[in-house]
Amino acid sequence: MVRLFSILIFLLSALITNAQEDLFDLLDDGPQPTQFTYATFKGTKLLNGQTNETPGKGVLQYIISHRFGSFTDEYLYNFFGLDNAHIRMQLDYGISDRLNVGIGRSSVLKTSDTFVKYRALRQKTGANTFPFSLTLYSALNYRGARYTDGIDHNTSDRLSYQHQAVFARKFDERISLILAPSVVHWNLVPGPEDPNDTYHLMLGGRYKLTQRIALTGEYAFSSNRRYGSGATEEQFHNPLSIGVDIETGGHVFQFHLSNTRALSDPLWMARNPYSAANGSLFLGFNISRVFTVKQ
Amino acid sequence: MKRIILTVLLICSTVASAQQYLTREARLSFDAGSPLEDIEAFTESGSAVFDASSGKIGVQALMTSFQFKRALMQEHFNENYVESEKFPKASFRGVFAEGAVKGALSIHGITQEISVPASLTQEDGNFVLVTSFEILLADYGVKIPSAVANKISNTASIQVRATLKETTK
Repeated sequence: MVRLFSILIFLLSALITNAQEDLFDLLDDGPQPTQFTYATFKGTKLLNGQTNETPGKGVLQYIISHRFGSFTDEYLYNFFGLDNAHIRMQLDYGISDRLNVGIGRSSVLKTSDTFVKYRALRQKTGANTFPFSLTLYSALNYRGARYTDGIDHNTSDRLSYQHQAVFARKFDERISLILAPSVVHWNLVPGPEDPNDTYHLMLGGRYKLTQRIALTGEYAFSSNRRYGSGATEEQFHNPLSIGVDIETGGHVFQFHLSNTRALSDPLWMARNPYSAANGSLFLGFNISRVFTVKQ
Repeated sequence: MKRIILTVLLICSTVASAQQYLTREARLSFDAGSPLEDIEAFTESGSAVFDASSGKIGVQALMTSFQFKRALMQEHFNENYVESEKFPKASFRGVFAEGAVKGALSIHGITQEISVPASLTQEDGNFVLVTSFEILLADYGVKIPSAVANKISNTASIQVRATLKETTK
């Protein structure tokens, strides 16, 4: 009986000590809050394509992009291609933390565009977990350049569209990947045999080297890369880009090397006439700046 | 004999349960701004525990629970400054005695011994903890790039207010 009693006392005293040590464990015992995954990517654009990110609510963003001339085109004479740069400017605004709208203008074919971007699903951890983010992007493009075929074109001929479903996942603090099924629609195609819709699968990712610097890459497969026939035949190539992201406070600098030059969405994705295999590589950059206009 | 065991059991259960106080709604805020930039954030989902018999006190908050006015600032705070994915929590574990809390403060994976004035008063059977103090960000390995050094203070003033209720456990 004495033995039983002492065992009991020992157990109870262990319990008391335990209770004391458990005090700080109580801090961790609470319900785990749901946390949305942040900073899957630094920018709202990866290189040419979209990321799942949007500017926050009340944030105005300005992006200026340049794509310089080719390495194969009198490279030194054209000062590393800087003398014949294509540009695009974009101004966009975060209506909410999920909804983003914007306008843009790019020099190739004098294209104006407008887009809407919406974060439909967000990756999250904690009480509620969800493994990936899904952001929907839809852009309308208007060709401003004059036609040289002598035909009186309707306004609708000048329109083209790009829609992307951007699936993104931040695997850890360094690695984030994107899989983006996309469709490009042209109201006007070169020949009667050509499809108005082409389908694309964009793959992209980033690898963070430091807190503020990341390597990025992007490639898109296309369902159709040949338009027209005979004299009007055009062969297009899948866009491939690699780059580096540098983030400094309100700016994100994205420098890259790419086989695409045009900046409006339907053009770089579906009608890229340049092939890296032929030495057509272009330096380029995107620089974004954000302004908090409403807090 | 049975009576002794019962008594011991009763005493033990009283010791183990009656004097612990807890909240999951502690308010923690900090200010690391400068005349050039407001850098303030708060959370109202901090945890705090207090054991009235031993004087042990603990406070903890998830770094990602801190709300900033600007989403981008919040992202930079988590991503670049406190590295919330590597070090998700800030915590204090120590004791309250004679108008001060003394113990280990862990932020950004670095633990420092601190002793700061605090008040712990009883109101309606709850304990109310109030403290405010300054820390040097460099002590916790929070690096500020020189480009923004004039915008961000090298110290953070931290405020804590928590109403701890007796636990029923």
